[in-house]
Amino acid sequence: MSDEIKIAAKGVDVFYGDTHAIKSVDVEIDDKAVTSFIGPSGCGKSTFLRCINRMNDTIDVCRVTGDIRLEGQDIYDKDVDPVQLRARVGMVFQKPNPFPKSIYENVAYGPKIHGLAKDKTELDEIVEKSLRRAAIWDEVKDRLDQPGTGLSGGQQQRLCIGRAIATAPEVLLMDEPCSALDPIATAQVEELIDELRASYTVVIVTHSMQQAARVSQKTAFFHLGELVEYGETDRIFTNPVDSRTESYITGRIG
Amino acid sequence: MQDNAHIASVFDRDLEGVQASIMKMGGLVETAIADAAKALDRRDTELADAVRKNDKLIDALEETVSADVARIIAKRSPAAGDLRTVLTVLKISANLERIGDYAKNLAKRTSVLSEMPAVEGAGGSIRRMTKNVGLMLKDSLDAYIQRDVDLAEDVRQRDAEVDQMYNALFREFLTHMMEDPRNITACMHLHFIAKNIERMGDHVTSISEQVIYLVTGEMPDDERTKEDRTPYATAPDEA
Ligand SMILES: Nc1ncnc2c1ncn2[C@@H]1O[C@H](COP(=O)(O)OP(=O)(O)OP(=O)(O)O)[C@@H](O)[C@H]1O
Ligand SMILES: [Mg+2]
Repeated sequence: MSDEIKIAAKGVDVFYGDTHAIKSVDVEIDDKAVTSFIGPSGCGKSTFLRCINRMNDTIDVCRVTGDIRLEGQDIYDKDVDPVQLRARVGMVFQKPNPFPKSIYENVAYGPKIHGLAKDKTELDEIVEKSLRRAAIWDEVKDRLDQPGTGLSGGQQQRLCIGRAIATAPEVLLMDEPCSALDPIATAQVEELIDELRASYTVVIVTHSMQQAARVSQKTAFFHLGELVEYGETDRIFTNPVDSRTESYITGRIG
Repeated sequence: MQDNAHIASVFDRDLEGVQASIMKMGGLVETAIADAAKALDRRDTELADAVRKNDKLIDALEETVSADVARIIAKRSPAAGDLRTVLTVLKISANLERIGDYAKNLAKRTSVLSEMPAVEGAGGSIRRMTKNVGLMLKDSLDAYIQRDVDLAEDVRQRDAEVDQMYNALFREFLTHMMEDPRNITACMHLHFIAKNIERMGDHVTSISEQVIYLVTGEMPDDERTKEDRTPYATAPDEA
């Protein structure tokens, strides 16, 4: 883990119309480390995650205020191109969303438009490597030309992970990437996350306390739109300060 | 610690069950200490035999606690306060089991000592020392139930007195042995007994430290002064 701060959020509020979904959140996310966001359903984890690559821009009723910086640069600055930003800050969504295209195209699309491959051979290599890292290569290598939407839920999710890492983003945002996966695929994705942190910043939303404890170095606990507690994962899971954190992670009625 | 219940009520019952086993163990160990001391004092070999026999119950309870804790960890993946609860339960049961062993050892030596002439003055000192340790154990278990950090800290500090008593006894025994070599066998046994009681105090201290960890999430700093200087002693006045 490096001591660098990759993403710094200050006084971030998010509204969906009248719904105040994120309330004045300050957080600094470490570079080359895994940070997990935990908290009860509806507390704003996905909302806050989407702020980091301006995915909320695509939701009409959504309004984001405050300051979010990626390596010191204000990502909401009018000079920042959200498409370019999303190439640097990749995302795996809560619901798998493969393009209605072939498995191959799903992964090759990003590297192609960002000019990451010189020729077909290089592109093939990127596709294979990405699918391998996403622990799905063996299952799809003989059907790369078939539609991604024809895969099972868990396979689609791994395809989307492969797609997200194919463009080699600096930051990878993952919203419950393992919710549709069996224990083996989950372990493989966790292994991948651990591997990614050598070169990337990973932020993962998860409902599994054990997963957060296993994969992340820092943990943020959200509750009703507030960031209640943020710190070293080891400490959060052995000795949380806030009683709401303790209640949540020990499975108590808050 | 949290007063509110788990959503999974079985988890609450499991945690309560394993803590109840600890309290049961604690009660048995308190009795073992008191009875072992009494047996020694009164040369009551029957009572000493009972102490030795009852140690099996303590051992069995420790095994139950270990099995229960393993099951809770496997099934519930406890975190935070729950994690500290199961970890401390495991350690405390190990401490109690060791204290039980020392009491048993005391009882064994009682059988031997009852065949020998009494060593003058030793009985009272050992009785006082055992009483101290017994009280410390009771307080540390109370501190555990009440989650009382102050009481646990108090017990921790009191261990120094036990160490001092042991030092004093060590000197006494050396003197007796030098005065009259016929005292050596009895004094050797009595010395082991005193040493065992001193070790009981260390385990009680460890229980108190577990209480502090359970409540605060941190082990206390080791600022306790070590009063046992006998490792460096070569003559009675050096201990
Ligand atoms: N597109 C939207 N339009 C209106 N309200 C929304 C929208 N998305 C989220 N919300 C509201 O914002 C709040 C936070 O939702 P969010 O999806 O961020 O929660 P979450 O912590 O990710 O929950 P979960 O664990 O169930 O995924 C909720 O009250 C939700 O109803
Ligand atoms: Mg969500």
